[in-house]
Amino acid sequence: MSLVTDSPVHSSSSDDLASYLDAHLASGSTGSSGSSADDETDDESDHESERIKRHKAENLEIPEEPEGSTSREYSEQIVDSEQSVETTINQDSCSHPGSFGGMCMRCGKSLEEKSGVTFGYIHKGLWLANDEIARLRKTDMKNLLRYKKLYLILDLDHTLLNSTALTHISTEEEHLRGKVDSREDISKGSLFVLEHMHTMTKLRPFVRTFLKEASEMFEMYIYTMGDRSYAQEMAKLLDPKREYFHERVISRDDGTQRHQKGLDVVLGQESYVLILDDTEQAWTKHKDNLILMERYHYFASSCQQFGFSCRSLSEMETDENESDGALATVFGVLKRIHTIFFHELEDELAGRDVRQVLKTLRKEVLEGCKIIFSRVFPTQFPASHHQLWKMAEQLGAKCTVDLDDSVTHVVATDAGTEKSRWAVKEKKSLVHPRWIEASYYFWKRQPEESFSVDQKASS
Amino acid sequence: MFFHIVLERNMQLHPRFFGRNLRDNLVAKLMKDVEGTCSGRHGFVVAITGIENIGKGLIREGTGFVTFPVKYQCVVFRPFKGEILEAVVTMVNKMGFFAEAGPVQIFVSNHLIPDDMEFQSGDMPNYTTSDGSVKIQKDSEVRLKIIGTRVDATEIFCIGTIKDDFLGVINDPAAG
Repeated sequence: MSLVTDSPVHSSSSDDLASYLDAHLASGSTGSSGSSADDETDDESDHESERIKRHKAENLEIPEEPEGSTSREYSEQIVDSEQSVETTINQDSCSHPGSFGGMCMRCGKSLEEKSGVTFGYIHKGLWLANDEIARLRKTDMKNLLRYKKLYLILDLDHTLLNSTALTHISTEEEHLRGKVDSREDISKGSLFVLEHMHTMTKLRPFVRTFLKEASEMFEMYIYTMGDRSYAQEMAKLLDPKREYFHERVISRDDGTQRHQKGLDVVLGQESYVLILDDTEQAWTKHKDNLILMERYHYFASSCQQFGFSCRSLSEMETDENESDGALATVFGVLKRIHTIFFHELEDELAGRDVRQVLKTLRKEVLEGCKIIFSRVFPTQFPASHHQLWKMAEQLGAKCTVDLDDSVTHVVATDAGTEKSRWAVKEKKSLVHPRWIEASYYFWKRQPEESFSVDQKASS
Repeated sequence: MFFHIVLERNMQLHPRFFGRNLRDNLVAKLMKDVEGTCSGRHGFVVAITGIENIGKGLIREGTGFVTFPVKYQCVVFRPFKGEILEAVVTMVNKMGFFAEAGPVQIFVSNHLIPDDMEFQSGDMPNYTTSDGSVKIQKDSEVRLKIIGTRVDATEIFCIGTIKDDFLGVINDPAAG
């Protein structure tokens, strides 16, 4: 088999030193597949020198070989071992589990990519077929058991950090330029400027502790809608020693669909994956794995982008509270999920589903509450389809449209409605819709007093 | 495998380089253009060892550039299917490991790693035998066999195997 045919880039024409050598080397290689003993003896003369060398190697291992054996017998022995070697790389029976640089990773044949996924973030040129991906996910379960780790996908922007373009820095934020942390010891800093990307980045408080502790419970991935170079730079800031993520940094260049994130590029079973992101729309296919995070707006441009007119954290020279901010809260939740998954569930590891655990945990937040909404939804809108209704139900509360004595909470924006006045009279809790949202983000039933409805707003 | 061969190339030179140092400029430009490039036929050009011959320059019509046919000797590296190479491991993951032999990137999939070696994730992901005697991790040196090569303009990709006799780890960095 000529080597020339293997690399399609080759031109088989003319003087080529390469093809001359190919021909010579090909005659001496074990490249011939599926050859029978008869064929071997026919080509024997060509291979003789090779055979003798191999024969000598074999002889060392089989010292009791009778001296009278002919070279034919030796060649048959060698043929057997050759064939057993060849079966491992026989191109025809190969299932082509994946390719690197366009060649099957098992048999070396040139492949046309069919149904599979490109894994460019792991290494350039890597592609895996769907069957192989499924197989890898299953075998990784063993690793999971051994190290007691689940998978955690982390979003970057507004979840772990906040970035702004240098040109968008407001006048009130100019003082930040003098407070930028040095690149000498990245692990001690939280505010960085990347000149070549014209970006200033602020890491969220608690992020370093979060990553350190979470890495012991989870195999972590970064998955961002930024491009690859942005993703790599941020990974360097978050993980300067390259101990948390290794090559698991997925950017929008690696996703299979535009504007959507997917778990198809993650080499882990869906039932063991948790996602931390501030944007629900990016994960429409995997909402059950998602833990929605409160957005981190440090810079003024970020506030503006989302339509907030208040002063940003940077302008007020404050920051999120480290010990009970969003990351700390979410970390507590993750820890609980991990404990429940590995120590409290009773069924077989293969049958456990982290999405179930997440659902169950969420249902504990507003357990026991019965909620009725007052003038929160538009009149013709089917109430049970409203986001707030669904959110409250996810949190374990019962929602109803019928006013009766079992109702515990009335959610309204106006204290003058019939239901609102009923709530005050019957000593039920009257809360603003934000009470439900806050309970959702903080994973804890919020004190109703902090979300009381303004009496003066009544008409 | 390395080869020491003679190649020929037509070099274009801008008139600003003419003068006393014409030849040096030409050689410098040749080195800058050719060293480190790849071609399907010859493989990766590692270094130019000497200039055999510089032909007469031909002035191009319209531009004023001059084309010189240059014959030069160089060392090239080209992996072949069936060749045994030694490489240094650069990355280990659940799919296999990546290794480098000079400019060549080689991937050894876990299908072509002996069955008794298992993947262990962690700080230093590695493949280890069940008794822990042999370990493949980053910076390990391995002897592998090439079973497929592909050359594009700047890089050479190879698929390798360590499933045959006498292949595998040569030197364990941990053992020192």
